[in-house]
Parts: sequence; structure tokens; C-alpha cells
Amino acid sequence: MTLPADNFTKSASATGERTLVDTLLDEQRQLTAVEAFARSHARHELTEPHYRKLLPASAPRPGEQYAFEVNLDQCSGCKACVTACHSLNGLDDGESWREVGALFGEMRNDASKWSAAVSQTSRSESGIAATGFQHSRAPQTPDARPHPSSLIPLHQTVTTACHHCVEPGCLLGCPVLAYDKDPLTGIVRHLDDQCIGCSYCILKCPYDVPKYSATRGIVRKCDMCHGRLAAGEAPACVQACPNEAIRISVVSLAEVKAMSRSASGGAGEKVGKRESVTSSDSPSHFPTPSLSHLPPPWLPDSPSPHITLPTTRYITTKPTADLRAADHSLPRPQPAHWPLILMLVLTQAGIGGLLAARFTSAKALPLEPISLAFLFVGLTASVFHLGQPLKAWRIWLGWRTSWLSREAIALNAFAGAAVTSVAAHWLPALTNHYSLITFPLCALALAAVFAQSMVYADTHRAFWSLRHTAPRFFGSALVLGIGLALAFQPSARLAVALLLVTLLKLASELSVLKHADTDSDRWTQLRRTAALQTGVLRPVLAVRLLAALVGGALLPFAIATGAASTTLAVSAFLLCLLGELAERRLFFTSVAPDKMPV
Amino acid sequence: MSTTTSTQSRRDAKTQAEKLGVSASLRLGVESPASPANTLLRQWTGPLTADLVRAPGEFGLGQVPARFKPDATTTVVCGFCSTGCGLNVHLKDGQAVNLSATSDYPVNLGMACPKGWEALTPLAAPDRATTPLLRNPATGKLEPTDWDHAMQVFTLKFKAIMDQHGPESVAFLSTGQICTEEMAFLGALWKFGMGALHCDSNTRQCMATSAVAYKQSFGFDAPPFTYADFEESDVLVFIGANPCVAHPIMWQRVLRNRRSPEIIVLDPRATETAQAATLHLPLAPKSDLALLYGVAHLLIQNGWVDREFVDAHTSGFAEFAEFVREFTPDAVAAKSGLTVGQIYRLAESVKAGKRVSFWWTMGVNQGHEATRTAQAVINLALLGGHIGKPGTGANSITGQCNAMGSRLFANVTSLLGGHDFANPEHRKKIATTLNIPESVIPTKPSLAYDQILDGIAAGKIKGLWVIATNPSHSWIGKGGDGEHSRPGCGSARPRAELGDALTNDAARMVESSRPTARARLAAPEAGALPVVTDLDSLLAQLDFLVVQDMYHTTDTALRADLVLPAAGWGEKEGTFINSERRFGLVKKVSRALGEALADFHIFRLVAHYWGCGELFREWTSPQAVFQILKRCSAGQPCDITGIEDYRHLDREGGVQWPLPKQSNQCLVISNQSGSTGTTAPDLDTNHYSLITTRERRLFADGRFFHPDARAKFLFSPPREVPEKPDAEFPFVLLTGRGTSAQWHTLTRTGKSDILRQLAPSELLLEINPADARRLRLRAGGTARVASRRGELTARVHITSTIRPGQVYLPMHDPATNRLTFPAFDPHSRQPSYKHCAVSVERVRKEAP
Repeated sequence: MTLPADNFTKSASATGERTLVDTLLDEQRQLTAVEAFARSHARHELTEPHYRKLLPASAPRPGEQYAFEVNLDQCSGCKACVTACHSLNGLDDGESWREVGALFGEMRNDASKWSAAVSQTSRSESGIAATGFQHSRAPQTPDARPHPSSLIPLHQTVTTACHHCVEPGCLLGCPVLAYDKDPLTGIVRHLDDQCIGCSYCILKCPYDVPKYSATRGIVRKCDMCHGRLAAGEAPACVQACPNEAIRISVVSLAEVKAMSRSASGGAGEKVGKRESVTSSDSPSHFPTPSLSHLPPPWLPDSPSPHITLPTTRYITTKPTADLRAADHSLPRPQPAHWPLILMLVLTQAGIGGLLAARFTSAKALPLEPISLAFLFVGLTASVFHLGQPLKAWRIWLGWRTSWLSREAIALNAFAGAAVTSVAAHWLPALTNHYSLITFPLCALALAAVFAQSMVYADTHRAFWSLRHTAPRFFGSALVLGIGLALAFQPSARLAVALLLVTLLKLASELSVLKHADTDSDRWTQLRRTAALQTGVLRPVLAVRLLAALVGGALLPFAIATGAASTTLAVSAFLLCLLGELAERRLFFTSVAPDKMPV
Repeated sequence: MSTTTSTQSRRDAKTQAEKLGVSASLRLGVESPASPANTLLRQWTGPLTADLVRAPGEFGLGQVPARFKPDATTTVVCGFCSTGCGLNVHLKDGQAVNLSATSDYPVNLGMACPKGWEALTPLAAPDRATTPLLRNPATGKLEPTDWDHAMQVFTLKFKAIMDQHGPESVAFLSTGQICTEEMAFLGALWKFGMGALHCDSNTRQCMATSAVAYKQSFGFDAPPFTYADFEESDVLVFIGANPCVAHPIMWQRVLRNRRSPEIIVLDPRATETAQAATLHLPLAPKSDLALLYGVAHLLIQNGWVDREFVDAHTSGFAEFAEFVREFTPDAVAAKSGLTVGQIYRLAESVKAGKRVSFWWTMGVNQGHEATRTAQAVINLALLGGHIGKPGTGANSITGQCNAMGSRLFANVTSLLGGHDFANPEHRKKIATTLNIPESVIPTKPSLAYDQILDGIAAGKIKGLWVIATNPSHSWIGKGGDGEHSRPGCGSARPRAELGDALTNDAARMVESSRPTARARLAAPEAGALPVVTDLDSLLAQLDFLVVQDMYHTTDTALRADLVLPAAGWGEKEGTFINSERRFGLVKKVSRALGEALADFHIFRLVAHYWGCGELFREWTSPQAVFQILKRCSAGQPCDITGIEDYRHLDREGGVQWPLPKQSNQCLVISNQSGSTGTTAPDLDTNHYSLITTRERRLFADGRFFHPDARAKFLFSPPREVPEKPDAEFPFVLLTGRGTSAQWHTLTRTGKSDILRQLAPSELLLEINPADARRLRLRAGGTARVASRRGELTARVHITSTIRPGQVYLPMHDPATNRLTFPAFDPHSRQPSYKHCAVSVERVRKEAP
């Protein structure tokens, strides 16, 4: 394509005259809608709102609270609720407190609402058919069903927001009391200015409700438009649903508890003790006969309600029990959280090293100061995880319920003991009491690593249960503690200890992979974890195994069989450290929580 | 906790409220959990909390984000689809800061779909065209220039081409997305001012079939319905329509139906609408025409026909009855894959005596025999007398916000106001009305979209002006190859005149360089053009390509020689006509970025620089042109001489055509509506009846627009699909809307973060579990889909909502559209996007 060599006459604008272009550009910049039209819009009072019947007739009484109620039969998948929440709450680009997902499956023909009567009518009506048309005789068995012997596809859109739980995971886990459950309405609010941006609530909420805002350094979440409710207005999503599928109801807390526990098959007691039973693991969601007359108020293929007792009710007449999210078999890696990886591995190395200095033949110097350095680098790394590091001092506030607060307290107490222990080498006043510190140091070490484990076990994610987390965390302390000691004092005994601990830890870690071997259609959390580790995260797993086998087994074996050298020992430690970092990366990225359908 | 005191007082307040009764408790029930005071340890308020504070918005809005509290509001009709929802734009100093759905607009009753809610966001996109861009022949890059220079180049180039090759050597491709007044200006400028002839718009891709079907059957392009018909039907039959996703606000009206209606959906896929229906008939793709004839057969055979209506108001019934004799239930069952019982059931549901409405959209319109299929729907309505009464009609749901404006006033296929270029009386009337010489009005019809592209391929058309549309993304399969639209072309391989080698090259490019929507957003200037389709090779043959658009990054704009920056919806004034013939108002509530100008202004500039400004001296503003169009419409079925002006439209919440001057029906109602402004009408009684009287349908008197006032039964034998699945390409590819958050080629909806989140981030291929098993496809894995025209890769989504042997791809990816087979309906010349043969195979190396 060619263009003419341009030798155009210069426009009048060059000569200072007003041209049509100037006029039109001016005209374009005038905003005229207000003058021309707004006057007729100025008088509007708030007319009787269409959503009145979508709000409860009265406020909650004691033992009750507000809740979302979603009529799945009415939801046609337009997703207006998501955009209305975004616009009417003035949220950031791409931010909304409501999400829409979909469940897919099939339902049997006889469960369909239109099957039986249909063929009856067809038969009788077609019987009056006039003659004269070939093949017009009514068939013997007219059947309006598409596939008489097969299943009808079912596609259910699901809208979700905060469930304003009876026992909110976010609130109980928050280390700084940045959540408040209103005693009258039951609305779970987030205190944006109290938040330190630790994101633990995101891990604690089974429903992925709180969302981190990188620009603000805090999380934000649905507040059920509490101010609107107080003024007799409906929350944004309720107002905006064209199909009136979302309403606010008042629910009884006792009923929510009963429903949640029955929906999860009485799994409530198992919380935290073993792998939590999730709804996708249990074949039937409402096995309790006494509640069988009630419509299932909860969704299939989503987190079990027993953990936090969500109040949202999902009402449907369709048989939804066997529906699954579109990505049911499609696990995606979770964020790695590098500051947390460093914090955990380095503090555990420090703890291990400090203990090793007391219980092994390794000399306390320089092992203790070096271990202390690891501890402090780890503690410092954790601050980089926070969106509001200047508010980090609040972290102890939630100690009554939050394992994160407890971890922080235990770690800092341990750090205090450790400083004392190291200082004892130089401060004569302490030197004589060096052995007195042993007990508090050990007790605090145990407490700190236990608290670290509980931080994750308390999220009720199967792969982060104590059974999987504690061996990893305590194992890291052992491996790296012994490794550090070995690096400073290569010895056969330490090498053998390292080898044994490494192999035991590896065996424990690899046990999760057995969940990959199944032909079942159901994907449990651990199966997803196994699939991730052997799938997209395979390179990380390879690094983890290689580093551990060389640094924790091969080199120690060489040292134990006589090749003791500082170079080998230091290499062994560094490889172990690399292996533990890779292990921790797998720990964070391959966790596969149940989630609401997206 | 430290909140005990406030808790106590709130409990008191609540008890008090309960005593006051229900409505009081609603307002007072639980007072706002007003934040307790900050303490040393707990910060209840502060700058971060303040960002989310809501405050009463006034103007009937309820609470709004305090940061966006308006000082005025105004209603603007939405600029995405043809539903034509009223959006309440929140203004601060005249500038839009937010919007919500207008509660008293008769179309949407306070609701909007995600696109409407996000209508303002795309205006601020970073890739807005803010200055004219001219391709520098030396560097090959688009470089900024000023309007004066751009206009001089525009006129010089087009004049040079027309001087050298004649007036038929240039064409424009326009849109259903700009205002009626702008469309009229463009069409008049092109044909009367510039002396050119060929032009078409993207409504050819969506609504040409409905326009032709109505025109042939009723004598005028006149969709007869009003949205209230959704609420007043006993039986609603949706044919090739998925309103739950494509027109969510129309579905809202369906759900407001209090008559417990039977809802029947004819669609090969179990769409969201099919799921919500009382009966889903998953017919075989493109068996719709035979099925509809089969239903007509049963209606006639069983005497389920409104003979009184048929005899009084239709012509051609006897021939039609004879014609459908061979469409026996058994024959139709074999063809459609439905059971005989299902076909009986359908026929019985639509028989005379009930309120039956038929609703169709792209599943019908985008077919190789689309016009006859639409007319087969119309025939069923005529047989049952389902027209002109509440809850009835053969109703085409339109696609774009102003496709209806394009059909009547764009001066493209019909002369302004639904007149006929070939009719000397019509030409005389328009010439007189516009005060122009009759000689400037062409007597020849323009070429259709595909014929224009054929003209480019043949070297006959050398200059092209593309306005607010994106053919590089949206055009079907192999460019303008029109051969296969001819009857009986069977499944012959497409003509190779454009070069199969190129197809293969293009296919490789699809494979290697198809960026994600986000990547495309991020690096529009990178010079890597997304997908080379055959249409793009055609565009490259042009001497001069002008693209007039809001964005300089559309697939088509990237290939332009000259880009004219246009102001978008919300940045200009004008009217749209929605599906139910309602004129709605677009207002200027936002400043266009940079030097972008309203399309109307650009046309004024072109007229000026071309030297035909004198001809358009009356065309000074959209309002002025609206008055001209009123005059053009006088005496036509679409007579709008009774609409006063824009303020009248604003007052009414839009006005449906026709509204002749003599009629005062609407004015009476307008008085009513004015008086209800300050009272609070009960939604279920007063307000409801008010709305229904603001909604009017056509043909209540049974008089159609043919000279004999009768509607025609029109029909043709069904033809085979031009490309059947075979051993090499065993699947039928169905295409359509992805989600309610996506609009066509995504030039606007792709600019909103929140809308992008509501759509899959990757192209998804829907495939049945049985087929997936056979091909060893994994959910979430990658599949390659190929047709004779190209190939693409997509993520696998396994679902039984799609039948075995069929696959589905959304149309929002240009690669999808180039797979499709370029067949065209012979009457409407609309492309058939809904049926072609493809192969599917597993891609072993999974995308990460």
C-alpha cells in the first residue's frame, strides 16, 4: 500500500482562523447531558424498592443472624451480581466480593421435571390426528424425552460471596483482630485499617473469600453491604440480580450448626486430628435421615461446611449432589509465598542448630551464633510477607484463637532464649547459667515448631494436616540442625544421624504420592496434591529429591565411611538446605484445598 | 470485646424497632454497626476504611460509594446489545463517575447485565485512539497526525481511487454500534455526497436474515413484539437463542411471567436457557427448517390452525399446506434426531388457542438457509394466529444495540426510513425531504458484505472505510468466497483462489503467535499482528484502508493506512433502536480522550473536506438529523413523526416505532408517567400496568404491510448443509456467545478487568465426555481443532451439554471464526457461522 507524497495545503488553523476541526473538537469537549436532560432526573426519590421481598421482614433475634440465600433454580448465569458488587461498592479494578462459578453433571431422566406427563398428552392428542397424511399415525410409544435411557446434562451456575460463617475461619485465624462478627447481624466485617496484610485469613477461609490487594497491602472482603441493610436497602448483589436469585434471610445459628455438621457427614469432630473429610470425598452429602426432608442447603464439590459453619443457603429443586466444578480434575498450583518458605526453613534451621549445639558433639562456637543468624534472617524474611509491615507489632493480639499469633509469640520467645544462650558465651554473668537455659530453649523450640505446624494444620487443608506438616517442620529442624552441626564438626555419628533423619523425612513426604494411584472419578485433595507434585511441579520434586539424596544421604554416607572432610560436610548441609527449600515450595504450591466452584 | 455497650444499645434499638412493625424494622431493625472508636490496639476506622464508605446517593439511587457520590444523574441507553437497557449514569460536574441500572426504564426495570454495569470502563482504556494515525510509507508504522492532514489524505486518496477506477471501486463496512443519526449521515454522505455506492455493515453478520424474512413475509422489516410479550405468553419457544447468556435482561422478563409458561428451547446444545426451560429439544444442527415444517405439518393435519386468522390475514396457505405434506413426523424425526413424540409435543404446544410466542436469534439467522428458517418460524405464528395479541409473535431478538437503526436508517440496503432505492416515488420523496437533487440517489443496490470482499479479491474494490467494526476478527472462514452460497453447492472443497498455501501459513501463525487477550492488550504496538486470516490478506490488497474506531489496537485497525479516532458510547449524543423498536437516547456523559471525535463529527468533517458540505448544511447535530429522519419516516410503517425530540424520548424512557404525528397514545401515557414521578407506585399493580401501556406491539388489527395487507407464507425445500462431517473432519463445529461478560470481538469488554474475570482466560472447546474418552482428551488439556480453512488449539472442557459428534467454540476468538465455512443465505447473504466440519485431536505437549 502506498500513500501519496504529501504536499497538502496547510490548514487554516496555521493561520489562526477557527476551522471546522477546531469547532468540532470544542463541541466534543462540552458535556451537555446535565443541562439538556438532568433536570428531569433530579427529583427522584427512592421509589418503593423492587427488592423489598428479598429482605427479611424482621431483624435477627438472639440466636439468629443475617445470611445470603441463593435460589439456584433462579440463577441463569448472567453474573450481574459480580459487576454490581464491584460498581456499587466502588471497588478497585477487577475487584469484586462476589464470584460466579459453574457445576456440571447429569441428572437421570426420571428426575426431570417434564418427563412423565409429556408422553401421556402427546399420545392422547395425537390420537385425533386427521387422516390423509402418510405416516401420520400416532406412534405406539411417543416419548418426548431426548434419550430415553440416558442422562440429561445439567449445568448449574453458582454465585458465592462471604458466607458470614458462625465460626469464621478468617476471624479466628486473624493474628491482629482485624475481623469482627457483629453480635446482632452476624455480619463478619474486616477492619481494613487494623489489617497487617499477612493474608493468613485467605488460607484460613475455606471459601477463598478475603482477597489480597497488592496496591493497598491489605485484604478486603464482603460486608454484606451492612450499611445498606441498616438503611432498609438490599446489598448490591441482591439489588442487581435480574432473576431475584439472591436474598437476605434470617437463619438460626443452631440450624446452621446442625445442617453444616450433617452436610459434612458428622466429620466435625475430626477437625485438625486427621485429614478433614471434604464434601468431594463423601459420596452423599446429606446422609442424616432426620434432615432428609430438607433441601440440601449446601453445594457439592465445594469445601465442607463443618469447618466454619457458613450461613449461606443454596436452594434448589434439582438433584445437584453429583455435580462437579468444571475444574474438578484440574488442580492448579497455589502461590509459593517465598517469604514464608524462607521464614519457615531458616527459623527451623536456626532452631535445629541451636539445639544441636547443646545435644551433639559439635562445638557451640561458632554453631550457636551461626544458627542464631539463620533464625533472625528467617524472622526478618517473614516481615516481607506483610502488606503493612509497620503494623507488624500487632501480631500477638489474636493469641486467644490464632495459631499465627501463637507462632509469633513462641518464635520471639525462642529468639529471646537463643540470644541469651549465645550471649552466655561472652557475658560472664550468664556463662555459669548456660545449662539452665537448656530447658526453656527446648520447650520454646518445641512450642515454636508445633505452632508453626498448627498455623497450617488449622486451615483444615488435607495436605497441611498435622500428619503431613509436623514431620516436615520438625524434620527440617532435625535435618538442618544436624546438617549444621556436621558442617562445623564432621563426624560419622552426625553423618549417620543425618542420613537416617533424611530418609525418614523423605519417606514421610513421598507417602502423599500414593494418592495419585486411583482410577476413581472423584478427586480428593490429596490426589490433587499428588497430581500436582508429579505433574506441573515435577521439576521442584526432582530438585527436592536430588538435593536430599545427595546432601542428606550420599555425602553423609561418604563421611560416615571415612571420607570426612569439611568441604563434603558443608556441601551436605547446603544441599540439605536447598532440599528443604524445595520441599517447602512443594508444601505451599501443591496444597489443593477444596474450593467453591469457579 | 469492647463493644458490649454499643451492642446493648443496638439491642434496645432493635426491640424498639420490632414494636414499630415490619417496615419500620426494615429501616431501623439493626442500626448500622457503627464503628466503635479506635483504641491503641484496635483501629476501627482510618484511611483504608474510608475508601469503602457508602453514603446515600440521592436521586433515587440508594447508597453509593461515598467517593463517587453524584451531583446529578441521567439515563442513557446501553451501547452493547439490542436489549436497550436504561443505565442511570451518576454524574459529578457533568462527568460520569459511576452507573447503575435505571429502575423506571420500561426495558430493564432496574437491572443490567455485566456489560452494562461496566459500560464506562472501556472508555478509559489505555489503547484509545486519541489522534488520527497515518501509516508512514517509509517506516511502515502508524504515526500520529492531525485531523486536517488526516482529512486531506482521506479525501485525496478516495477521490484518486474513484477518479481512476470509478465510483464502484470504493466501499465502506459499518456497524450496528453507532447512533442512528450517525448511520444515516454516513449512508447519505457516501451515496448522495461522495457519489459512491457500495457499502454494508456488520449487521449483515447478525440481523440481515431477520430483516429480509420480515420484509418478505410482512411487507416491511417490522419485528412485531414488545418485551411485555415475554411476560404474557403461555408458551415461549426459543429457537437458536440463548437469552440467559446473550440477553440476560430479556430472560429477566421471561422470569417475570406469572402465567407458569411452558418454555421450549430448540438448540443442539443444552445451553443455560435450555437448562432453565421446561422442555429442551436438542435437535441435530441445521435440522431446524425441516423440524419447523414438520411442526406446521402436524398443526395443519390435526386442525390446530387458526383458520379464521389465516383466511383473513395471510396468503399462500394452500400452497404451504401442500408443501409441508411430506414433512411427516417420521421423516422429520429421522432428520432432526428427535423422537416423533417430541415433535408431537412441540406441535401441540404451539397450536392455536393459546398465547404462543416464538423467539429466535443467531442460531437461526446465521445459517445457510436462514431466511427460510426464520420464515418457517413466522409461518408457525401465522398458522396459530399467534400475532398481534399479547404474549404472541414471531419475534427476532436483535443482536447489536443499534442493528435496528442500521436496518431502517443506514441508507445501505434500504433508502433512508425503510424506503426502496429502486422505487422512483421513494427516491423522489427522499430527495424532496432532504432537499437534494433526485439524481444523486442511486437506483442500484449496494453489494453485500461478502460481495464487497469478493470485489476486493477481484481487484475491483480498492478503497475501504471500516467504521466501528472489526472484520479481521469476526469475518467468516475464507474471506469473501461467495461461491458456496449457491444452492446445491454440496460439500465441495472451498475454492482455492486465495491460496491454500496462505491458509497453511496462517494456520502456523495461529499456532505460534496467538497471544492471550491480556498479552494483546499489553503489547498492541509490538508489531506482531495477532492472526492472519484470509480477510487480512484481502485488506492488504487494498490501495487504501481507513479504520474509524475507539481503539487503535483492533485487529483491523492494526492493518489500516489511516486510523480515525472515534468517540464512543457515552461520549456523544444520538439514538439507538432496540429489539422491540424502541428509540432510546445516548447522551454525552464523558469526555472523549485526546482528539477523538464523535462519528457524527467525523462525517461532518468528511463532508466538508470532500466538498459536499453544502448538501448537508442542515445536518449540523444529531438532534437536527433526528428531525430529518422523522420527516423521512413519514407515512412509512416506521413513522416516528409523533416523537417530538430527544427530551421527549428521555421523558418517556424511549418510544417504540411507529408513533405517527396523529397518534397521541404515547403522550397521554407520558402524562401519566410524569405524574407518577413523585409517588411510589406499587410494582405489582399500577407500575406494572403503566409499563405495559408504554409497550406496544404491531399487527393487532391483522393488517400487514404488503399491498394486500396480508402476511405471506414463504417456504423452500431444505438444502443440505454445505459442509457435512466426514472421515477427515468428523465433528460439527457450533459457535456462539461465550459468556454474558463478553461482547463480540472484545474490543471493549476486553478492557474491563472485572469482565475479563467473568470469562474464561483461554479459548475453551466444549466436547462430549464420550468423544473426549475416545480421543483420550483430558479435562483442562489441550486439543487441536482443524477445519479445511485453518486450525487452532484450545483448552478442553468436557461436558455433556454438548452432544456427541459436535463441539462448541465461542466466537470471541478470531481463530474460531476462521474455522467456519463461508456459506451464505441466498436471500439475506448472512454468513453461516453455526455449522462446519472440523477434526479434533489431542495435543500431547500440554500448554503450561
